[in-house]
Amino acid sequence: MNDTILEVEKLVKNYGHFRAVDGISFVVPKGKIIGLLGPNGAGKTTTIQILVGITTATGGAIKYFGKDFFKNREHCLQRINFTSSFNELQGRISVWENLLVFSGLYSLKNHEKKIKELIEYFEITDLLNQRFWDLSAGQKTRVNLIKSLINDPELILMDEPTASLDPDIADKTLSLIEKLRKSKGISILYTSHDMEEVTRICDEVIFLDHGKIVAQDTPVELTKRIPMAKLSLTFDQVNKHFVEEFLKENGLKYGLENNYSVTIDTEEKLIPKIIFGISKKGVWITDIEVKKPTLEDVFLQIARGDKYVI
Amino acid sequence: MSFSRIRAIILQELFITRRSLEVIVDLPYFSVQTIVVFGFFSLFLSGTSHLSSANYLILGLLLWEIIRIVQYSISVAVLWNIWSRNLSNMFITPLTIKEYFIAQMLSGIIKTIVIFSVISVIASLLFKFNILSVGLINLILFFINLTFFGWSVGIIIVGTIFRFGTRIQSLAWGLVFIFQPLTASLFPVKILPPFFQAIAYMLPPTYVFEAARASLADPSVKWEYMGIAFIQNIIYLLLSLWLFNIMFNKSKETGQFAKNEG
Repeated sequence: MNDTILEVEKLVKNYGHFRAVDGISFVVPKGKIIGLLGPNGAGKTTTIQILVGITTATGGAIKYFGKDFFKNREHCLQRINFTSSFNELQGRISVWENLLVFSGLYSLKNHEKKIKELIEYFEITDLLNQRFWDLSAGQKTRVNLIKSLINDPELILMDEPTASLDPDIADKTLSLIEKLRKSKGISILYTSHDMEEVTRICDEVIFLDHGKIVAQDTPVELTKRIPMAKLSLTFDQVNKHFVEEFLKENGLKYGLENNYSVTIDTEEKLIPKIIFGISKKGVWITDIEVKKPTLEDVFLQIARGDKYVI
Repeated sequence: MSFSRIRAIILQELFITRRSLEVIVDLPYFSVQTIVVFGFFSLFLSGTSHLSSANYLILGLLLWEIIRIVQYSISVAVLWNIWSRNLSNMFITPLTIKEYFIAQMLSGIIKTIVIFSVISVIASLLFKFNILSVGLINLILFFINLTFFGWSVGIIIVGTIFRFGTRIQSLAWGLVFIFQPLTASLFPVKILPPFFQAIAYMLPPTYVFEAARASLADPSVKWEYMGIAFIQNIIYLLLSLWLFNIMFNKSKETGQFAKNEG
């Protein structure tokens, strides 16, 4: 049994002399959520557009379920779906009418039953007769998600599905995505600028920059690539000079917040040694806070071209 | 080819038409208004001038609406989905461009039959002009030929919108009117200067309008005119599909297709 849903091989897209996607290769395994991240202009949206067939590739291969996408467009698109905060449904017609149209476009047999199942799952029964353009951003996102599930897809490509949503609705949307993966085993290719949500839901992250894959790993492993952490210590202020003395002796980079707290940039593995060393000087440490690197830090360092991370 | 997908697009057209004041204004309202205004003008002409001039005018206007509605239906349908940022959603389903056009062509025919029937009844009741006086077979042949031409113009416009984006969207309802004088829709082709006559005879509707005017006096089928119009229509339709294909592929290659929705 083939457990690879999507296989991208040496994908290239040129716009004239500009190379938007530069020979990227990756796979999306069954049941996994893969994050596609990168700064603006990194090639994420172009990649997604090529993967759904609305932009043509200059080179490379795309295989869904082991079949060449360019030769088996209809078969592949029947088994995948797409949702984006940048696309909407037909605004002039009602939610029910929109879903009816898409059920026809996917040639569903029991379309009414399927639509009813989904609207109950997403709790939007009361919105069915409303025009799509009259819905709020959160309601539109839910209807878009229903559209993206209407054909029971094995893979959904999600392009910033929570952009423009307030934190509460964004959280609910993420919970729904997590629930969907768990209950239906759907694979998802997910792009977002929100590193917290990527850390929360993605099994693996692909960082794109200038059209190339510059890093690919689990969110935890990616954050481990930044060895530096921030250690904040609060201490009894009479011993401030002992703290400074220790930090200078050991050549550590620090910043005094005031007379009783300091923030030290250090390698994570040195933290116990620093705490022990300061204590040994007779300083009474009253509070310790360690801020480990996040995916956001990885993103920023990649965007700024930090070779250490890449 | 999937019947279900063709039906889905026709269904969407039906839903949009039912709920859009814009479509109601652009199609039935505009058609009825045109017939009423020029119908009265033809009454004026029939009282002051030659009766046939008045009949030419009303006949030309009725038949012209076939081209306009068919073309509008195909061209503007794509804009409804671009404006709603829904076009990409539709083309990431298994829907093919062939199925999309077949659906829009059928939808255009349905709209045209309904509106043409309504304005023909109005012309008959208010202005005593019976469209069936041209002969039923003639009318069917005129309808087929003018529909083909409307499709060709509509397909070219859709391709141009895909290729260059919505900045040229006004072509969807404006371009077709170039052909109204060039095809001598409201007057005999001999009125045109020789250069424009040469152009007119390269356009299939010219033969339809000439045949239609002739059939007011003699309703026998003008097979020669209909044959030339039909052959030209086939050539124009194939040409429009070929050009569309080039523009559609270019639009996907340059990323314009995805950018159309902003």
